[in-house]
Amino acid sequence: MIVWIVIGAVGVGTYVLRVCMFLVVGRRSLPTWTVVPMGFVAPAAVAALVGSMLLTQHGSIDVAAMPELAAVTMGFATVRRTGNVMHAIATGLPTFWLLSAMAAF
Amino acid sequence: MTVTLDRAPAAAVVAPWRLVREGARDITPMVIGVIPFGLAIGATVATSSLSTAQGLASAPLIMAGAAQLSTVQMVDAGVAPVMIVVAALMINARILLYSASLAPWFSGESIGRRLLLAVPVIDQMHFTCVPRFERGDLDAGQRRAYYAGAAGWLVSAWFASQALAITIGATVPESVGLHVAAPLALAGLLAKSTTSNNTATAAAVAMLVVTVGAGLPFHSAVLVATLAGITGGTLLARSRS
Repeated sequence: MIVWIVIGAVGVGTYVLRVCMFLVVGRRSLPTWTVVPMGFVAPAAVAALVGSMLLTQHGSIDVAAMPELAAVTMGFATVRRTGNVMHAIATGLPTFWLLSAMAAF
Repeated sequence: MTVTLDRAPAAAVVAPWRLVREGARDITPMVIGVIPFGLAIGATVATSSLSTAQGLASAPLIMAGAAQLSTVQMVDAGVAPVMIVVAALMINARILLYSASLAPWFSGESIGRRLLLAVPVIDQMHFTCVPRFERGDLDAGQRRAYYAGAAGWLVSAWFASQALAITIGATVPESVGLHVAAPLALAGLLAKSTTSNNTATAAAVAMLVVTVGAGLPFHSAVLVATLAGITGGTLLARSRS
């Protein structure tokens, strides 16, 4: 029973985080001072997520293995060149397979 | 910089179903990144002390992978319930930022619709929808259609991948590289979103802080790092204008 309460509480709390700005903003548009910071939400959040996945593990600094790092770097570089987000997976995964196979020998 | 919310060029008359498809198409790279994550969480749930019903229900109830994973693992480890909830909400606090950036695009909608539109607010929805809306050629109904297309595809892929892994308890060998798909999809996004000095600085600050601050309490490293990145970028932009 307590597990259900915990899951429910996390769910309700998360929905409150999701909905509160939808209710606060109402029919008005964004105040202008928020425009500049809003432009940095995506780069900052994505970098933080990628960093937490590749450079940390269970709350301490723990850098991922070489094939993973190389694959992500490859994906990043490809998208820089082509501008198509799909290409990150298209070049990154083969890079990972190749380097993992080489490391296995 | 100007924000245009409700003005759309009269020429841009596009059928809603085409925008549903466009939204689904645009979020596909993110969906490919999310499926392995869903499988991994499903596999964790399958081997945890949670019942199958609790595991299956936790996906739609929480609808945020990292917080769900943390909740499952902490329940399993017997952590105090209050601590589990606090940790999960700290992980999800960034959703507040996405809520703030998405909400203005739907400010003309009825209260009922806004309550519904808030349900799928998550990283991938923000990264996909906000750049599309900022092009300024969609009216309110078209934005809704685009948003629904993206959300429908993302959410169904998310539930399906988790349900699959929970029911068959699947574990995929690490050599397939499914665990690399999520950071790869995000790396592509990072490449697209860091095209100026200011955005690159925001990203660099966030990545540094998330690494150095890995041990911050309540799993708050990602949130603190995101806020630090936003602050860094904003200060740099201010000092240059």
